[in-house]
Amino acid sequence: MTALWLDAARSLRARRRRALLSAVGVALAAAMLATATVVGYGLSTGFARSARDADLPDVIARFDDEPLSRVAARVRALPDLAAASFRFELTNASFGTRQHFATNGVIEVLMPGRRGYALLAGHDLGSSPGEVLVEQGVARAWGLHVGSALFLQGLGRQHVVGITESPDNVAFPLAAPTVYISRADVPLQYRRDPDPDVNEVQLWARSQAGLNVLLAQARETAYGLHDLSFVTRDGVRILVDQAAGIVIALLVALSVIALLTAAVMLAASARADVQRQLVTIGVRRAVGATRGRIVSLGAAEAALVAIPAATVGVLIGLLAAAGPSNALLELLNERGPGRALVAPLIGSWLLAVAIPIAVSAWPSWRASARPPVTLLRGAELRGGGRRQRGSAGLLGLGIRLATARRGRLLATLAVLGTSTAFILLMLALASELSVLANDPSALGQRYQLLAGLPASAASQVRSLPGVADAQARYELTAADSFALGETIDVIAYPGDHTQFEDPPLASGRRLRGDREAEVGVGLAQVLGLSSGSTLALALPSGVDERFRVVGTVSSLDHDGRIAYVSATGLLAGDPSAPEQIAVKLTPGASSGSVTRELLALGASVNATATVTGKGRSLVSALTAILRAVAIVDGFVCLYTLVQALALTASERRGTIAVLRAYGAGAGSVARLLAGAALAVVLPAAVVGVALERLLLGPSLANIAENYATLSLGASVGVVALVLIGLALLAGAAVAWVARQAARESIVAGLPT
Amino acid sequence: MPGDDQAAMPAAVAVRAVGLQKTVGRGRAARQVLAGVDFAVAVGELVAVLGRSGSGKSTLLHLLGGLDRPDAGTVTIGDEPLTGVSDRALAQIRLRRVGFVFQSFALVEELSGEENVLLPTRLPGAPKDGTQRAQRLIDELGIRPVADRVPHELSGGEQQRFAIARALVNDPDVVLADEPTGNLDQSAAADVLTLLRALTAQRRAVVVVTHERDAAAAADRVVHLAGGRLVSA
Repeated sequence: MTALWLDAARSLRARRRRALLSAVGVALAAAMLATATVVGYGLSTGFARSARDADLPDVIARFDDEPLSRVAARVRALPDLAAASFRFELTNASFGTRQHFATNGVIEVLMPGRRGYALLAGHDLGSSPGEVLVEQGVARAWGLHVGSALFLQGLGRQHVVGITESPDNVAFPLAAPTVYISRADVPLQYRRDPDPDVNEVQLWARSQAGLNVLLAQARETAYGLHDLSFVTRDGVRILVDQAAGIVIALLVALSVIALLTAAVMLAASARADVQRQLVTIGVRRAVGATRGRIVSLGAAEAALVAIPAATVGVLIGLLAAAGPSNALLELLNERGPGRALVAPLIGSWLLAVAIPIAVSAWPSWRASARPPVTLLRGAELRGGGRRQRGSAGLLGLGIRLATARRGRLLATLAVLGTSTAFILLMLALASELSVLANDPSALGQRYQLLAGLPASAASQVRSLPGVADAQARYELTAADSFALGETIDVIAYPGDHTQFEDPPLASGRRLRGDREAEVGVGLAQVLGLSSGSTLALALPSGVDERFRVVGTVSSLDHDGRIAYVSATGLLAGDPSAPEQIAVKLTPGASSGSVTRELLALGASVNATATVTGKGRSLVSALTAILRAVAIVDGFVCLYTLVQALALTASERRGTIAVLRAYGAGAGSVARLLAGAALAVVLPAAVVGVALERLLLGPSLANIAENYATLSLGASVGVVALVLIGLALLAGAAVAWVARQAARESIVAGLPT
Repeated sequence: MPGDDQAAMPAAVAVRAVGLQKTVGRGRAARQVLAGVDFAVAVGELVAVLGRSGSGKSTLLHLLGGLDRPDAGTVTIGDEPLTGVSDRALAQIRLRRVGFVFQSFALVEELSGEENVLLPTRLPGAPKDGTQRAQRLIDELGIRPVADRVPHELSGGEQQRFAIARALVNDPDVVLADEPTGNLDQSAAADVLTLLRALTAQRRAVVVVTHERDAAAAADRVVHLAGGRLVSA
């Protein structure tokens, strides 16, 4: 056994450069795999882990303020209930430090009972006043720690006793800053109230099997509670999974490409090595070495390269991905996997080692099946030339040399083309994310300002300079007549709402009549609505209005629990529906000057915000990850090109030596290799662009259409950038391999 | 004796080596294969270098053609020194003044015989009339009927003719042939030797390295390489 490893080590020493190149490939693939594992595993398991650590309730019910006794009585009646705790959630609260201050904060006033959050530092709230817990996003952004002071409006100076994490919501700054205080902190005049108001109940079921019954019963008993909404643990998980799913899918696809690249290149490299060693294998077979021994030797050589390279690669991947992945998880209020990541990383490592060994052993196994006498003649090395047409210049010869190995050419093309397509896709996706963060129209919003003016002022607003169009907009919160717990955001325009709000149509058609409605996908899922269903709305006026659902739209607003109806239809049921004016600006008009004009009319003015505008940090993190992965993918391309050219140069060592003997300098060798690179890069670029434009982009846009209308076909600029990048990478690969080839002694390469 | 060898040469020297030394291998495996070789070949002369396997014949040929650099000594082709010049300059000298013929022919497998002949003419700095010369050589060497065949469709003799045509296509002053008949049968070998012999009539210097006595018979002069030094036959 030792002799086998020594033989393998000797063989590798004799071809150090090639072994090093193979090692780089394995390390790259392992790094990509580890990156995908770290991010993918972290995102896919983060919620479950954090929910368990935080003792997240199975159901969270929110409603308008109600006396504790009234809510508690209903909760006590629920079946299969393990525990319940009550909170009073104060929104738009003001608190801060000397440096940071928020007026949109959330103060959770806790009653005794289970908490539903995890403590990352410090201790839980005690009975003494003046204590506050801070959500970890706030603590991180504001530099708070246990012992810091925090000023809460109405309560004064509090001191931070703990840092919390709760995955029922994303972290600050994606969500409003949240702090927790105990009822002991509530000002005395309210604390004396024996039956304080609450507006949130957290429910823990005895078993998951009984959760549906609990939820159904909770809806039943919730009659009379206003503005009620339920959030289940699964609901939160699904939302997070949907967002993380695209990132995970991209990373997994990338690691598969990287692994495929490494496998193809290693297989080609192993085949070329075996080709060169046919005579040696023949001699070994002639003196009695078994096929098993030959294969074991090939496998041992691959293992000696792959084991250290995969170890380095996995460590690099772990170091590179752990930081961004944990930052992303923190934004999602989730915890990193910690030591739980060891097992999947070992799995990645095993894969990164096993594949090179397998692809290296296979050509040895095939070669050793031939009769030793054939091997001694070097069999496959002779007579392999195919008649090929084309220019016989150096570029042409390079193309011919590359295309002579068709299997490898196709494999290299596939890897390079796919990598190019993914780079294009990621850059296109990164651009689109930036657009989503900055351009409301990407999510279907066509207006820029919302003015608090009566509908009758629309024509007056239209005449303002800088205003392209203005229209009355009605919006109210209704309940579903059959499930009163479900609140629905109802929006209406006098005319075609798509002129001002154009959320992507997921199914059906746009509304045309006064009794028709388009509903958000979220609402359709909750209420089981589809085209042809009836949407029954209990309006604040007390009137029930029914609309026929004609289409579903993708909207992120209000979790998609949204309905568009005509203004006539809505006003028929609720003539006092709140009205505003949606304002579209002319291109290039100053939002500030139009706002001033509107303020002069006595309006309150709000600029539209993109959904992701609130989550710019998340978008930035995702964009950075996508661009970073695109760059790593670029390195995969470079590696693929270097490997392909190095293999060509190595196999055609004799041809290059003869050319140099006849007077070819380093430039001529580079031109020859440029031809070989051209044979791969040109078709790969075409394949890559076509793949992205025709398959990957549309597919991903299709997946994302539940969120927004994305045009994921790479723009001409991005395509040009990637093609220039590919050309530069090819140039770098040619220069490097040509330099290596020109440094070799001519005599050493001459055929004997 | 090497000194005698030089004294007997005609005045116009095509290639000259003085005091060539070369050691191959490293450390304990190091072996000096050339230990101060002085050697000259006149224009229009065919010299055969004989020697046993491993005597350094091919090493001498590589040094004469500028494929390798000596540890000591100088080589000049015509009036151009090969030692002490840059790799780029050396490549240009090989391109314009030296033609190589190899034992294994060393034709590019994907190119036809004709394309193989044309290959050196496509290198930057090659003489302009290479294409016409290639056509003429293909005709003169009688390989026109098989010019569009790839190497594995050719006989050994045909392959070596294409290799010789390729060596001559840039009109070199010196042709260096390393065991040119080693892979050929007797008849094909005789043909190749006749071709090489004919090159001297075109005022080219030809050096043939061989261990075959028959090959040496075609030479104007035969020298032996033994113990790292040249001795006249």
